[in-house]
Amino acid sequence: MIRSDLIRGHLDAIILRLIYEEDRYGYEISKEISVRTDDRFQIKEATLYAVFQRLERKELIESYLGDISHGGKRRYYKITKLGKAYLKETVEEWNEIKEIVNIFMEGL
Amino acid sequence: MKKIKTHVEEWFSDIPESETKQAIQEEIIQNLEEKVFDLVRGGKTEEDAINKTIVEFGDISDIKQELGVKNGKPVSSRKQFGLHLGFSLWGSGLIVALFIFINVYYTPDDIWFVYPTFAVAWWPLVMFYKWLGWK
Repeated sequence: MIRSDLIRGHLDAIILRLIYEEDRYGYEISKEISVRTDDRFQIKEATLYAVFQRLERKELIESYLGDISHGGKRRYYKITKLGKAYLKETVEEWNEIKEIVNIFMEGL
Repeated sequence: MKKIKTHVEEWFSDIPESETKQAIQEEIIQNLEEKVFDLVRGGKTEEDAINKTIVEFGDISDIKQELGVKNGKPVSSRKQFGLHLGFSLWGSGLIVALFIFINVYYTPDDIWFVYPTFAVAWWPLVMFYKWLGWK
């Protein structure tokens, strides 16, 4: 399990990416993160819902109620135009940062 | 499954009621119940599944911060006591000024305004004390 404070700043982008692929709901996202990272990273639900709040407030995603399952309606999230633009920018930024940090991290 | 609902409601108990809070609460309950259901399907007993889900939830303070609880409350309280302090200073100042005026105007030979001044002084003092407590 990796240190969560290091990945924290990238959570918005990670979650945006998953919503970008298709509309998803909370539990699906946390499961997807665990599956894709082979359980090397698990997001805490408390963190996940805080991110939803933040992204929704920034109008990067929007939510709607979907089908009924296990006693309640799932709340699905959908990326907005602004969200797509933001994600694209974040990816470019990340590639830049990755290269810069790698200059100092590689070869040791 | 009732246990999940009780727990979530307890986590949210000190957040003031609002539509957003209600929506998040419902969303979290639904998602956690689905997780429990999934874990049970994977071979866990229901009690184990519920406990695991609750333990893994994490720290509610992240959500509170997003909802503006953590930042909002102490600041506004201090501001409120600052307002109380200002009001008490003005109020007691005016009352004392009135007593001094009556004293000097009607009975200039006898200085008695000190007594009601002391009686009024508790008011700004209490507010000052409260205000200090919030600083």
